[in-house]
Amino acid sequence: MTAYIIRRILVAVPTLVILIVLCFFLMQVAPGGPFTSERPLPPQVLANIEARYGLDQPLWTQMWDYLVGIVTRFDFGPSFAYRDRDVNDIIAQGFPVTLTYGLISFVVATLAGMGIGVAAAIRHNTWLDYIAVGATFSAQALPNFVMAPILVIVFTWQLGWLPGGGWNGGQWQYLIMPVIALSTSYVASITRITRSSMLETLNSSFIRTARAKGLPEHKVIWRHAMKPAMLPVVSYLGPTFVAMITGSVVIDVYFSTGGIGRAYVDSALNRDYAVMLGVTILYGGLTVLFNLLVDVAYAWLDPKIRY
Amino acid sequence: MKSTPRILVAMLLGATATTGSAFAAGTHPVTGETLAEHQVFTYRVLDEHSSVDPQIVEDVSGSDIVRDLFEGLMNQDAQGSLVHGTATSYTVSDDKLTYTFSLREDAKWSNGDPVVAGDFVYAWRRAVSPELASPYSWFMELMSIENAAGIIAGDVPVDELGVSAPDDRMLVVRLSQPLPYFPQMVTHATTFPVNPAVVEAHGADWTKPENIVSNGAYVLTEHIPNERSVRERNPMYWDAENVILEKTVALVINDENTALTRWLAGELDRTEVPAGQFPWLQKEYPGEAISFPRLCNYYYTFNLSASGPEAFRDVRVRKALALAVDRKIITENILAGGQIEAFTFTPAATAEFEVPDVEIASISQAERDARAKTLLAEAGYGPDNPLKFDMVYNTSESHKKIAVAMSQMWKQKLGVETSLANMEWKTFLEVRANQDFELARGAWCGDYNEASTFLDLLTSPSGYNDGKYSNAMVDELMTLARIADDTQAIYTRVEQEIADDVPIIPIYHYAGVYMMDSDVGGWPINNIEQNWYSKDLYKIAE
Amino acid sequence: MPGSIRKSGTEMVHRTAQSERIIEALAEGEAIRGRSLWEDAKRRFIRNNAAVGALICLGLVVIFTIVGPFFSTWSIEEIDWVRMGDIAGDGQPSIDSGHYFGLDGLGRDLYARTIQATRTSLIVGVIGALVAVVIGTLYGAVAGFVGGWVDNVMMRAVDVLISIPYMFIIILLMVMFERSFFMLFVGIGIVSWLDMSRIVRGQTLSLKNREFVEAATTAGVGRFTIILRHIVPNLLGIVVVYATLLVPLMILVESFISFLGLGVQEPNTSLGALISEGAGTVLYGTPWQIACPIFFFLVTIISLFFVGDGLRDALDPKDR
Repeated sequence: MTAYIIRRILVAVPTLVILIVLCFFLMQVAPGGPFTSERPLPPQVLANIEARYGLDQPLWTQMWDYLVGIVTRFDFGPSFAYRDRDVNDIIAQGFPVTLTYGLISFVVATLAGMGIGVAAAIRHNTWLDYIAVGATFSAQALPNFVMAPILVIVFTWQLGWLPGGGWNGGQWQYLIMPVIALSTSYVASITRITRSSMLETLNSSFIRTARAKGLPEHKVIWRHAMKPAMLPVVSYLGPTFVAMITGSVVIDVYFSTGGIGRAYVDSALNRDYAVMLGVTILYGGLTVLFNLLVDVAYAWLDPKIRY
Repeated sequence: MKSTPRILVAMLLGATATTGSAFAAGTHPVTGETLAEHQVFTYRVLDEHSSVDPQIVEDVSGSDIVRDLFEGLMNQDAQGSLVHGTATSYTVSDDKLTYTFSLREDAKWSNGDPVVAGDFVYAWRRAVSPELASPYSWFMELMSIENAAGIIAGDVPVDELGVSAPDDRMLVVRLSQPLPYFPQMVTHATTFPVNPAVVEAHGADWTKPENIVSNGAYVLTEHIPNERSVRERNPMYWDAENVILEKTVALVINDENTALTRWLAGELDRTEVPAGQFPWLQKEYPGEAISFPRLCNYYYTFNLSASGPEAFRDVRVRKALALAVDRKIITENILAGGQIEAFTFTPAATAEFEVPDVEIASISQAERDARAKTLLAEAGYGPDNPLKFDMVYNTSESHKKIAVAMSQMWKQKLGVETSLANMEWKTFLEVRANQDFELARGAWCGDYNEASTFLDLLTSPSGYNDGKYSNAMVDELMTLARIADDTQAIYTRVEQEIADDVPIIPIYHYAGVYMMDSDVGGWPINNIEQNWYSKDLYKIAE
Repeated sequence: MPGSIRKSGTEMVHRTAQSERIIEALAEGEAIRGRSLWEDAKRRFIRNNAAVGALICLGLVVIFTIVGPFFSTWSIEEIDWVRMGDIAGDGQPSIDSGHYFGLDGLGRDLYARTIQATRTSLIVGVIGALVAVVIGTLYGAVAGFVGGWVDNVMMRAVDVLISIPYMFIIILLMVMFERSFFMLFVGIGIVSWLDMSRIVRGQTLSLKNREFVEAATTAGVGRFTIILRHIVPNLLGIVVVYATLLVPLMILVESFISFLGLGVQEPNTSLGALISEGAGTVLYGTPWQIACPIFFFLVTIISLFFVGDGLRDALDPKDR
């Protein structure tokens, strides 16, 4: 097991390097550059700016300097669009915000989704099951950019209960709407996966055996069915976790949370190369890390898997 | 409906404006209105500002903040006229090449240092230095300051810039050519002073709230990127006793509809009105929905370069297309916010500029349509040989509506087939700058309040002349206008040339359309450049 | 543009119908040879009321997009100049004005536009899913079959690609294929095959060591025949299920891209574009602008979810 984890980590390093190099060059494909603006800069001004940021160097040199900067100084470069800040500042400011509402949404979505899913599976083919299935399908299909403005209209304007946006250091009033808007569709997915996996487990032969032994139903479910039923849920939760903590541009746009999702889209639209790369590396690193964690969790849940 | 959320918000935002100025709960010295207890103005900005460094800032919302934090030589009043800022007076030499500014004695930085002429020299050199590489360094070149161009090009050392401080209270500026509107230009953020000691001490971090030192009526106290920035009254400001507003909060809200919802909920004092929503808002919130002309135009430009379509080289085609656009539908039904139909390039609201009478403006739309049909038929386009072209615009709900409406007008009236393409901003700019388009949207907001800021765009050397319109007469006239005393006659001629050649289709001239809470006093709606200063605003008790 | 979309639309509908027929034919072919996976699956699927109901709903939506335009009095791009001035008042859904679903924000007929949008979204969903499924299946099957270092290299490549943030790819594609909406979806399909390839590879690996495959091998059946007769039908189940679930995902991706303002070009539209427009105007007394497109959006996606679930239940060999 330990050897497996070490091997995976060793593979992760080249994966990340390839990712950086790939994205570095892919980025350049997009038309326009960071200093393309409505009022075209006089060539001399543009040349000064490019010299300042080393953009006049050949791409390979830029790439190398960038990698060296990361390794030696943990410096992910400057922001071209927001010159008062660098990439480290932008991530340090935006990521904790996203992490906060992402984590809370994740916990909410996981608890609610698994709870409803298990309940629906146990009460299979009852009204509870039907409502759960119908509601989750609808919730999953409803885009959160529809839900978000409606939440603001209802809770901020009509009822006056919650602030319509902002972050304010993550006070609870400011968290409620982002968490609702972000977690709803995930609650739905987790419910569906939990339900169908639980149903499958409950129909399997070893559960039938357990029931035949005369074990009470709650013991059957908690002792025997829970663990194997969680396998598909866990493999879904890994990428979901990454998706949720890396944020959502929709949440940041509608609730002005100042998270990293919006900064990422902005960096792409601004051709703010270093910011875009920095966030890509962050996302890529998190993805690699959580894929690894999911595999470890899998090994724990399913003793049949060997490495 | 509005009062409950307002209280809640005041609580949640933790409005701390309790350490009062002399005016809190008093009356306004001029208007006599009763002032509100909490002097906090909260407004919506679309995007995070680019910077609060005066020499680097390049966007409108950033400049709004910089104007509060720093004070340049001159300010603008509510009418947009020049008033003294850090300078108390200035003189111009007879050859109009040397300006001498006297600075006020009592001007101080927020850390107590006096503001001296050397701070301006430092800031102006900084603006042109290739080392800082400011995206706005060209502005100093536009100001015609001696050697600015050479320094930017790296040919001349920075300290050769034509600005000097013979003593702490005197700033001397030498120009390379006479520039009648030079004094107007020193109200621009790029020319504002910075405190050299602070900039040197903190480097790029000097604009962070914990480091920043400023000489304006406000200091930056909080900045959370993409969420909010807060500026509070600067007690060291020389005129601090006449500043009423304690605090100004800018909230970044990307979605204009959500911003409007939050205005309705009482969270904001000012927000923009989305296209088409002005009429009902005006009915429901009389006095709070306001509209006033802005110094911006909106047009479509033909690609007249070699890569442009053959058809557009025929002036009859261009004229027909320009005639058939029913501007009234666009300004009254689509935008509906007090925008002005445009038949000429320069907005009517531009200072000392009168819109010349062009023929197209004086006839009815039915006549225009009839004429357009004739012209297009003359050019050889008809049902068997329909005119076809592509039309590009950058992604935005209202640009889309206008483009679709125009293409429908052309289709129904002239049988023209257009294919529409919206593009993300940078791609759009790239496409336009490379003449990789047929018909493209364009818009321009004046850099300063004078017609040349618009008309220069249509001269051959202009960097923004993406349609590559070239008319020797226009070029010559615009060069002439730089030194002429009576510019109106020249500008009329230029507009006339443009109306005859139709290199662009003027659509409308902008209006500022805001929801402005009725308790906000002093908003300068007559300042066409919308250079507003928090120090001139106040909140009225409700 | 409108012409070409319509054409490829019917083509696509045609093609899905065709692939269904292929599946049927496959099932029948198997049936002759005895106990059929497909025959069982069909029976199980028909017994599943929810899935059948969803399939009917989906069919109705498709029929609506074909028959609907015949009842439309306005085209998708015509602006109702008379009513555009007061959309909240004059633009309400009405039989008299011919605007059965009311007007959009610019004064165009929402009935015609919703039909066109539904069609676009369905096509986009199917194209994206198809591209992803074809690439994913081929890639995964090859990796699983060949095994060894080839498998290793192929799967490491997937690992790298999977750690590229989806947003990054979408943004890049948007910028690159800005002017061709369908290329965009081919592009998105091209990056959506990663999960598919992993699933198919895993399935192939486990099938390779199944008793029936071993039995066939010992009985001297050729390798190619084994693949065709034993492995492909088993893979096909998962592929069909995955494809059905990918279609709604693609439609959701499309709606997100439209939300960013970079989807299909005017005057054409998609459900994502209409919903995103409608969501912006909920405040302004025009509820039909969101209600009409979101109804078709929800019906289509929920139906696809149910059909996908139904297919999975029907085809899942574990359940037998």
